[in-house]
Amino acid sequence: MARKRYAMVIDMRRCIGCHACTVACKAEMAVPLEVNATWLKIIEKGAYPDTRRFYLPRMCNNCTDAICARNCPTQATYKRDDGIVVVDQHRCIGCKYCIASCPYDTRFINPLKNIVQKCFFCQHRVDAGLEPACVESCPTRAMVFGDRNDNKSEISQLLASNATTVLKKEMETNPNVYYIAADETVMSNVEKGINYRTEGTITKLRL
Amino acid sequence: MDNTDVNVVYSVQHQLPLVMYIGQYFFFTGLSAGSFVISVIATLLGRKEFKPIGKITALLAPILLIIAPLNLILDLEQPLRFWHLFVFYNWTSPITYGSFLLTAYPVMGVIYAIMVYTNRQKAAKILGILGIPLAISVHGYTGFILALAKARALWNTAAMPTIFLVSAMVSGIGLVVIIAAARWKWFDKAATVEQREKDKRLIIQLAQFMAYIIMLDLFLILSDILVLLTAHSDAYQAGMLILTGNFAPLFLGVEIFLGSLVPMVLVLGPTRKSMKAIVIASILVNIGVYAMRFVMVIGGQSIPLS
Ligand code: SF4
Ligand code: SF4
Repeated sequence: MARKRYAMVIDMRRCIGCHACTVACKAEMAVPLEVNATWLKIIEKGAYPDTRRFYLPRMCNNCTDAICARNCPTQATYKRDDGIVVVDQHRCIGCKYCIASCPYDTRFINPLKNIVQKCFFCQHRVDAGLEPACVESCPTRAMVFGDRNDNKSEISQLLASNATTVLKKEMETNPNVYYIAADETVMSNVEKGINYRTEGTITKLRL
Repeated sequence: MDNTDVNVVYSVQHQLPLVMYIGQYFFFTGLSAGSFVISVIATLLGRKEFKPIGKITALLAPILLIIAPLNLILDLEQPLRFWHLFVFYNWTSPITYGSFLLTAYPVMGVIYAIMVYTNRQKAAKILGILGIPLAISVHGYTGFILALAKARALWNTAAMPTIFLVSAMVSGIGLVVIIAAARWKWFDKAATVEQREKDKRLIIQLAQFMAYIIMLDLFLILSDILVLLTAHSDAYQAGMLILTGNFAPLFLGVEIFLGSLVPMVLVLGPTRKSMKAIVIASILVNIGVYAMRFVMVIGGQSIPLS
């Protein structure tokens, strides 16, 4: 059998911005307050009365050429054979170089465990033959997950029959999360100004 | 592209991953590499009047390089796991080069210092020549840490390692000048007038050398910014952040004006014979380089990615 390559397709025409994926992810992965493995970005385009809201679900893209895995000094971040990029929680030293290298801001320090975490397509559920929690919770089936090397899977058919795009293609990390009907200006629009928490920048002692 | 009609209504905040410990680490390795290079130059030239400076710097280099990695370990979320770096290395990661360089370099530095202090000239010279590439890579690799984190436009430039090396030289010489001047002022009283005059001239020469390296540094920074401003949109944003944005006061005011232009004038201008002016210039240079580390590390990360 061919090697699996897990991917996700998100149809932005279907997403209604209900945050169910965010909540499901928080519950499934026990993600603490203040950090997010999956989140929703809400973007408005156009001037009144011709406006539209776009809902952009965001998570780790489990990139094919993951810069985080390449830069991790301890191989705590590595790629599984099926393409999922995972973090070995017992090996990670928390140097945060992966967070600084990821072009998508998808990694975070778990403030309770003091290690790096991110979305890994719910590898424990996938290994048990289930879908990731966000996919299962999505009421409009805007998210589809599966093996894109399997021609009969829903995801490979969706990818074959729709115009899809990925975030920040120019970064050459080859993301495995694809978006249908994603508007270019919406995908590339980052917030103006600082959207980082800056407290503890200089002296935070984390012992 | 015209994004004026696109507004982010809701998004989440992210953490700033690397804090100032990393900047401080860059600062200390820079000081160490700079003083080591000065020490080796003094040893190689072998002239008698260079001896005191060669000795001070030979001692400074390993001491600073023992302080520097402490910052790194403090920055880890799991400091007790730092040994993973040596056991589970990953050759595509610049941090892995660093973990081995940071072990080899202080060991070599200590042996070199012993050679210098026990007056074994020949051994010191050979070790010094072997040590310079090591000193350069120990600081140069820190530039690669930033340059290879490709998400951040301000870091992702091939000039980064060179900029780091040059600013390391600047701050390293600055520190040496400060210490040599303190020695001249307080601990050099026993020497003859002639000897003191010689020492003073040496310190002034060192400061002038520093001023020339500042010029090189300014040139590198200028070329970096020119390219940032004409490259892709993220790079442009990064360039504007340090020229007109939140980090402009630190970059233009402290790093460029106080940390480079003022010291250059003090050292090369009408006050060039004054010890006080030279010491002030050296202090300013170090403040400027520290500000540069801050602008690079914190500023580089403060451009939102999502
Ligand atoms: S999105 Fe970021 S964290 Fe996820 S695999 Fe890609 S580079 Fe790594
Ligand atoms: S924080 Fe952990 S996963 Fe990230 S690069 Fe460092 S060791 Fe690897």
